[in-house]
Amino acid sequence: MLLQIAEPGESRVKEACKKRVVGIDLGTTNSLVAHFADGQPRVIAMPDGRDILPSVVRYQAGGDPTVGGAPDDGALQDGAITLSSVKRLVGRGVADLGAVRAMLPYEVVGDERAVRIPVPGRSPVTPVEVSAEILRVLKARAEHELGGEVEGAVITVPAYFDDAQRQATRDAGRLAGLEVMRLLAEPTAAALAYGLDRGSKGTYAVYDLGGGTFDVSILKLVDGVFEVKATGGDSALGGDDLDRAIASAVASEAGAELASWPRPRVSAAVAEARRVKEALTTADEVTFGLRGEGGPAITRVVRRQDLATWCQPLLERAGRACRRVLKDAELSAEELDGVILVGGSTRSPVVRADVEARFGRVPLSDLDPDSVVALGAAVSADVLAGGEQDVVLLDVVPLSLGVEMMGGVVEKIIHRNTTIPCGASQTFTTYADQQTGFDIHVLQGERETSDACRSLARFTLRGIPPMIAGMARVDITFLIDADGILHVTAKEQTSGVEAAIDVRPSYGLSDEEVERMLVESFEHAEDDLLRRNLAVERVEADRILAATRHAMAHDEGLLDDDVRRAATVAMSALEATLTGGDYLAVRHAIEALDLATKPFAQARMNRVLELQMHGRSLDDVERTLGVREPQA
Amino acid sequence: MSGAASTPDAFAVFDLAPAYDLDLAALEARFFAMSRELHPDRFVTAPAAQRVAALSRARAMNDAYQVLRKPVARAEHLLRLRGVTIGGNERIDPAFLQDILELREELAEARVAGRTAEVGRLAAAMRGRRKAAVESLGALFAALPPAASAPGQAEAETLGHIKQQLIALRYLDRYLEECEAALDPDSES
Repeated sequence: MLLQIAEPGESRVKEACKKRVVGIDLGTTNSLVAHFADGQPRVIAMPDGRDILPSVVRYQAGGDPTVGGAPDDGALQDGAITLSSVKRLVGRGVADLGAVRAMLPYEVVGDERAVRIPVPGRSPVTPVEVSAEILRVLKARAEHELGGEVEGAVITVPAYFDDAQRQATRDAGRLAGLEVMRLLAEPTAAALAYGLDRGSKGTYAVYDLGGGTFDVSILKLVDGVFEVKATGGDSALGGDDLDRAIASAVASEAGAELASWPRPRVSAAVAEARRVKEALTTADEVTFGLRGEGGPAITRVVRRQDLATWCQPLLERAGRACRRVLKDAELSAEELDGVILVGGSTRSPVVRADVEARFGRVPLSDLDPDSVVALGAAVSADVLAGGEQDVVLLDVVPLSLGVEMMGGVVEKIIHRNTTIPCGASQTFTTYADQQTGFDIHVLQGERETSDACRSLARFTLRGIPPMIAGMARVDITFLIDADGILHVTAKEQTSGVEAAIDVRPSYGLSDEEVERMLVESFEHAEDDLLRRNLAVERVEADRILAATRHAMAHDEGLLDDDVRRAATVAMSALEATLTGGDYLAVRHAIEALDLATKPFAQARMNRVLELQMHGRSLDDVERTLGVREPQA
Repeated sequence: MSGAASTPDAFAVFDLAPAYDLDLAALEARFFAMSRELHPDRFVTAPAAQRVAALSRARAMNDAYQVLRKPVARAEHLLRLRGVTIGGNERIDPAFLQDILELREELAEARVAGRTAEVGRLAAAMRGRRKAAVESLGALFAALPPAASAPGQAEAETLGHIKQQLIALRYLDRYLEECEAALDPDSES
């Protein structure tokens, strides 16, 4: 007996030990659950036989919420309310919502930390609770099909979800009784499903246009390694926005502003726009019809070409994100092996035609764009549960991380799209004589000045021994682990004093802010460079002015009248340029001052060189003399 | 204002001898193979000490890969391994500086006047110049005696040339960034 128990084949032991895990695509419009077995992932069907569960929760007085019905206009009817698209609210405060709020068919309340939605028969619910209702149904369905408790889940999120949104998604999972093993980026999940399905090698772009977000990632697949080369997107762009663009266009043709209509009429128009958009996937023309409630009745025949025209500005925004991500990956569209379409919105022929034109190739869509993300999540869950597959995912940092330098300039320490886990160090020095504290301001974003980036954390390194400016050596080290958590340390080399802080890299950043920062960094790059150059030159000017004054006061004996006069004139000229905004003028004035003080500097150099015999380094001497440092 | 902190030998991470001339495809293949072994996801069920060790090895590998795959970063790293560092306050050939300052003024004028085509021309010229500068690194490194041999006059001189070239490349890159900023990437379609 004992022998028999100890004997079973190793694979059976492994099978018995392996956790029962699933992959979940918690979508804006639809959600799915999938499981990996017998070498491939499969979607677990809902009781109605469909793969998808609409991400719609209906709350009614005196009853449990029901999940998966059809979305409606969101108005309170018969003591019940139907909530849809709550993914757009997850992890957001009311102030973060912006334009999204106006697009919602239901009212929201709450504060800057979290949104709440009033529902009948109970206190207002949070998006986390609503999401948990959806997850509970998926979990129960999986347990029914798999014949036992689900012990772990991988849930997908848009690549651009920030930490608050990720945390809220985790909370929803926990609330539904799931152990969330990992949150996986949706495009990466899709690539995982494709890569496994075809045993593919090569470099692919994943174009993921969902209900509420747009992600684009470039991945390289080689022998079981999935390397994310670059990721980008537009997190305020999705199928919902296309619907709204269509409704807006029809409204403006009828001489009205969509936003000026009563809420139920807006909801009806947007719902009709969605119906028309979906019908145009197969039909060439569809009639848009709106009843005369809250405004005149509208009937309009919509052709595919109309749809293309109306959606063009939104697709162009997606296109810009595609260009940026290709540039980051140092690839051209021709070098890709394929473009993978993900998300229900990519069913639209208008979207497909745009992608085809942009990438110069017919996109791949042989896996169902609605289920491919869930399938990939199931693959990932199996891998993390110790499954047989030989797959490793190399993910990246979505936004650059750096510190603020003197003058408000940002020095990037880890650049966006660096593979995680990773680390990097830079050495900084003190700006003022006798400076004993060093402020470290950790920032996230692509812009060059600190006020245009997102502040993540501030801390101070104290106890630096008093030294002259520029002598202290402060190493700042950024470390990022495999879950994307940032750890910052600052250490002064000579004294060994040290300070450290843990930072959530995207803490408190709304996805719109992430997006805005990225878009602005491109749109305002010129402006930024001018500001950066000006800030750098100003710091340099202050430094050289202080150094010159210091030298003139201390070594008066080495200064002849001609040099003194020339230096004084050059100093005033430099000070005058500091009030203006022309960095080149500042730079030229610095060079003029350099030139004017050259004989003086030479005299001091000669004298101090003698001191060097007594053990002073040339570096030190140069620093004392305030020799100009060209900015590389 | 800033300088590089000391770095371990990135080549050693991949069992490679330090060399500028590198087979990038082989490096990538090695990086992928090692990632399969070392990625922290491989250790999710391992004891904590093993997880921490795996994390730091994976981090060292990723960081080393970043350094080696880019020619300029690789060249700077090779110099650092020979004790030559490039700080933020390096001297530069005044003639070169003069040249760059004039080019920048030309760029600034073209940009302010909105002469996009001229900015594009300047950018293209600079890209060509940068490419030549990067290519010249290869020849300079080829002329460098092996690090093991006694450091002589020839080595010091070649290292000096490489360093000057790398400093020049920083100016060229900065200039290219300004070109790109001027050429709004969103205006091309």
